[in-house]
Amino acid sequence: MEILPEFELHQPDSVATAVKLGAQTGAKYLAGGTDLMPNLRHGLGDPISLIDVSGIADMQAIENTAMGLRIGASVTLQQLVTNPLVLANYSLLIEAANTIAGTTHRHHATVGGNLCLDTRCQYYNQSEWWRKSNSYCLKYKGDSCHVAPNGNVCRAAFSGDLAPAMLVHGAQVEIWSAKGGQRIIDLDDMYQDDGANSLLLKPGELLVAVLVKPLPTFNTGYRKVRVRGGLDFPLAGVAVAVQGRGNKLEQVMIALTGTDSRPILLKGCDDLCGKPLDDAALKALERLVRTQTKPMRSTFIPNQYRSKVAVNISRRLLLDLLMR
Amino acid sequence: MQNKASVELHMVRPNQAAGARIPLVDGVEKVTGKAQYTADLEARGALVGAILRSPYAHAEIINIDVSKARALAGVKAVITGDDCGVAFGILPISELEFPLAKGKLRYRGDAVAAVAAVDEKTAQLALDLIELEVRELPAYFTIKEALADGAIAIHERREGNVERKVDDEFGDVETGFSAADLVMERSYHCAEVTHAHMEPHAALAEYDVERDLMTLQSVTQVPYYVHLMLSQCLDMDSSRIRVIKPFVGGGFGARTETLNLEVIACLLARVAGGVVRLKLSREETFLTHKGRPETDIIMKMGLTQSGKITAVQAQVAQRGGAYGGYGVITILYSGALLHAIYDIANIKFEGQRVLTNTPGCGAMRGHGTVNVRFAFESLLDTMACELGMDPIAVRRANLLSPEFETVNGLKGLSYGLPECLDWVEEASAWQQKRGAMPVGKGVGIGCSHFVSGAGKPVHWTGEPHATIILKLDFDGGITIFTGASDIGQGSSTILTQTVAQVLGVDYSRLRVIANDSAITPKDNGSYSSRVTVYVGNAALDAANNLKQILLQAAAVKLDCRADQVECLGEAYQVQGLPNTLISFADVVAQAIKGGGTINVKGTYFVPREHQGLGKQRGAAVGSTPGFSYGATVAEVSVDQDTGQISVDKIWVAHDCGFAINPMSVEGQVQGGVWMGLAQAISEQTRYTNGLHMDANFIDYRFPSIVESPDIEVKMIEPGDPNGPFGAKEASEGALSSILAAVASAVRDAIGIEMNATPMTADRILAKLIAREKQAKRQQPRKQEAR
Amino acid sequence: MPTNSKMILRVLVNGIAREDLIPVNMLLVNYLRDVVGVTGTKTGCDGGECGACTILVNGEPLLSCIELAARVAGKQLETIESLAHNGRMSTLQRSFHEQLGTQCGFCTPGMIMASEALLRQQSTPTDQQIKTALEGNLCRCTGYVKIIESVRTAIKLNGDV
Repeated sequence: MEILPEFELHQPDSVATAVKLGAQTGAKYLAGGTDLMPNLRHGLGDPISLIDVSGIADMQAIENTAMGLRIGASVTLQQLVTNPLVLANYSLLIEAANTIAGTTHRHHATVGGNLCLDTRCQYYNQSEWWRKSNSYCLKYKGDSCHVAPNGNVCRAAFSGDLAPAMLVHGAQVEIWSAKGGQRIIDLDDMYQDDGANSLLLKPGELLVAVLVKPLPTFNTGYRKVRVRGGLDFPLAGVAVAVQGRGNKLEQVMIALTGTDSRPILLKGCDDLCGKPLDDAALKALERLVRTQTKPMRSTFIPNQYRSKVAVNISRRLLLDLLMR
Repeated sequence: MQNKASVELHMVRPNQAAGARIPLVDGVEKVTGKAQYTADLEARGALVGAILRSPYAHAEIINIDVSKARALAGVKAVITGDDCGVAFGILPISELEFPLAKGKLRYRGDAVAAVAAVDEKTAQLALDLIELEVRELPAYFTIKEALADGAIAIHERREGNVERKVDDEFGDVETGFSAADLVMERSYHCAEVTHAHMEPHAALAEYDVERDLMTLQSVTQVPYYVHLMLSQCLDMDSSRIRVIKPFVGGGFGARTETLNLEVIACLLARVAGGVVRLKLSREETFLTHKGRPETDIIMKMGLTQSGKITAVQAQVAQRGGAYGGYGVITILYSGALLHAIYDIANIKFEGQRVLTNTPGCGAMRGHGTVNVRFAFESLLDTMACELGMDPIAVRRANLLSPEFETVNGLKGLSYGLPECLDWVEEASAWQQKRGAMPVGKGVGIGCSHFVSGAGKPVHWTGEPHATIILKLDFDGGITIFTGASDIGQGSSTILTQTVAQVLGVDYSRLRVIANDSAITPKDNGSYSSRVTVYVGNAALDAANNLKQILLQAAAVKLDCRADQVECLGEAYQVQGLPNTLISFADVVAQAIKGGGTINVKGTYFVPREHQGLGKQRGAAVGSTPGFSYGATVAEVSVDQDTGQISVDKIWVAHDCGFAINPMSVEGQVQGGVWMGLAQAISEQTRYTNGLHMDANFIDYRFPSIVESPDIEVKMIEPGDPNGPFGAKEASEGALSSILAAVASAVRDAIGIEMNATPMTADRILAKLIAREKQAKRQQPRKQEAR
Repeated sequence: MPTNSKMILRVLVNGIAREDLIPVNMLLVNYLRDVVGVTGTKTGCDGGECGACTILVNGEPLLSCIELAARVAGKQLETIESLAHNGRMSTLQRSFHEQLGTQCGFCTPGMIMASEALLRQQSTPTDQQIKTALEGNLCRCTGYVKIIESVRTAIKLNGDV
């Protein structure tokens, strides 16, 4: 038996009103609710007010701009995967979005929600009774981490599928706040590797839209390892965009999710380029993935496994895309 | 009533109901949303019940202070272990559980106290106000820990934390092993799994203070046993208790024993003097558990060169959890059903059921047999490979033939396993595929069996094993009164078809009234797949009794002898004389003349020789009127990058004796095999320091529709003399076969032996990596040698 | 104490306009079951995991156990109870009934509503599309085989009309 806390509900129709409301103490933004509502039902969070941003027109649009395709943060995943502009140039986003949760979730889950998905951990995504019985945890109400008991950083895993695809597309995000107005930053800069504070958003800041650039000369793809064919969050997910000639890589972008407290845009991929994708190059790729991702025991599935498959699916996907 | 025209119609079409693919008699309610499950029942003004659960795995209760909770406005009842001093349990020899913990807390999730309040919020606040003072005790989460020297007893009456030890030998295994050409031994491990029925647990209790009457409606599979335990725990005469089972959203064994929430709801209702609705969350439903225990198995087998099994020895240890439950029966089944599937002269079984500080295990579909069957069939597969034999051939070398009696005294009159093997071999194109598919793809086989009801009920009273009442009245409608619990498996439908078949009448005349102790006859409930054979036979008996009355009445009306009357479904005539035709209505009118409403009863007793009364030790467990058999072939693909198995197709043949409703049999077999598949590939319950890590549907991963394969079913129908129309059970027998079939297919696909369930991707990948490393280690050595 | 903890909800439930005073933190599924009294919509999990609570909102499938009733103001809600027409089962309902797409029946309302959403959007989906549409609806009885057959049968019957 878990009932929702008492809160005020606001349903603003403009970003300006939303961020004004969002600046108040204890305010929390609500879009599709597919992540937030289960968490609230589990006693994760006790907001004083919920600011429902699903009805703001500016956040629901998908349009071409000088800075690329602008996707409103309140666009649902279902709208995303059926939008003609996205269909035309962003198959990677569609591929990634279609692996998220279940179809019914996708009718309501939003682009912004998935990018701002709360990090997940086997010691966190539990009921209030459960967490209390386990003395809570570093991420919420507690002072020690059950994943890394000696650590002082939360190791909950970022589990959004859209972020790696967006990162590969060089995404930027449009962030609004009551005080500072609008700022645009690289999506990569919105995250930090701290499960308890994975989003570098100041209190009251609202993700309003994402800007992505097309990759017309690239082959792209998304692979996700999970136990079940549907529903599950990624144990590891990888998005790859590759431009090549023959078996030679010319340019490649790789981003991973599910392995760390933030999505990882793999650095050093340039070193793989300009030469054939042979065993040595694949070894180099393995090193890049291994050194830049660090799955922890945030799921019951062994972290060594997640680490290994992160490498394997990156390699497989890269090979498949280059051969395509 | 009928007119003449409809008489003509029915005359030419007497209803051939048994064997018909008809939809469930209660299906319309389910697809339209009208079906009322316990949580749906109208109960205006019902109080909200809630349970405080133990955060401790093992602790002595020093004090529970409920004063603040009691003082909270809107709280109508607060109870603790002090409010009920009577223990309960499904087995009279193992009544270890109190509705609310007394003296000790035994697992994280154990029920400590309960409240009833005007609304959910108040109930939650009240729980938060209960102060629990304890002295923590060392807790044991594994078999090893619980059995360690110096471990304190989780239950006073269970020294050493052993719920039951079994040591049986039939024949002489040492002689058997020495006669073998190949003897192998392997260890197997199966993770704990649970039923995860879609409907969370719920109960609605109403106490009538003025009359001292208790009415409970709940999610039970066994209203009769709940009734007994309520009487015991509430200290109320059983005549003052009424138990009703509404629609139930699945059970799979979880609800085959009285659950504490059922007693708690009644205790709360009595204290509050009113109606209490207790709905458990999904997490609490997981914590109530009663599922299949984590099991360690050491299996040893001897085979001759031609594949004949000379001896089997199994050592089985089950982590039973904090309470006894069905545990004794589970471990006995594990041993008993090593028999009666193949012809084996020498079998030794050493079993151990251990108590631990985890949620209590119980009966789950394929009770006691699934994990042991996985080990047995897997070892057989391994040994067949070792001998270079086809895994199907090795099974054919060990078939029984009906009528058989096993060395432990189990009797069977029908045996369709040979035909099951033939069909799956053919349908799956086994001979073309086994060993011949590309790397990463493979096929595998497993076989299994199960009882059609336990020869001996849990509480032996000398009453019939099942009773059915039929009522026929002036309206021409026939009401079937049954205590058998339809929990989705379709038992009410089977009973309807049985009665319709005997009487030849249209289904529309029949209605089923089930599971209300004030109205329907006692029934032992839906467990061990007993309903089709036991209650089906009682329905057959009742229908035959009613038919005799109708034939007598028709004889009077037709002015002939009863044996001259011909029943043509909804019309009767003197044999061979169509011009004498009279309607069903005429016959009913005649039958009730003088005596009024007709009530007839039908009963069923399991034949003595199938009651397990033999001289062999433990012969009572495993005895049954008929064993069902199943053979399953699975085709899998293994992704060697991720270790993930995808099961592409399943072929399953099930010997159900006779399919009273072929569609329903298919559905049961598909559901059963799929449930076994889920255990094989993805399901498991894990604990960290006794805390349940998977008490939700995100982490407790039974398959979604996406990765669930097509399951093609063949019914094998040899007919069993003990079954109604020859029928045997259809829901459990094939389940156990799939686990080993998947393991066998994985071996065929990638040459790796899987001896643990679930066969998760990380386990498979770890084995692939280990093999790769070993190959690498061997390579340099070779180079050095050069 | 929040200032706007209650609200008047105006909504169309199965074609009937309603006006109810509700707390803003009330889950939609509780509004349907406890306030409106349509109990066909089930809850099988503790939030967003099983699909048993699936209903249609303005024709789109929604998990009513993780949605606030307050947020569907002014919208059209359809539950399992709305599909039968003058007491006659809809094609989908009939197919689930006749092809044994339901055993215990508990996942059935959600399963049928998710299928309904699919068939309104796509009248002749492939098996793969059926599976995708139902990936968030868990069933523990059928192994899903006869659920797929039920949807297929409904597609065929719809095509025959």
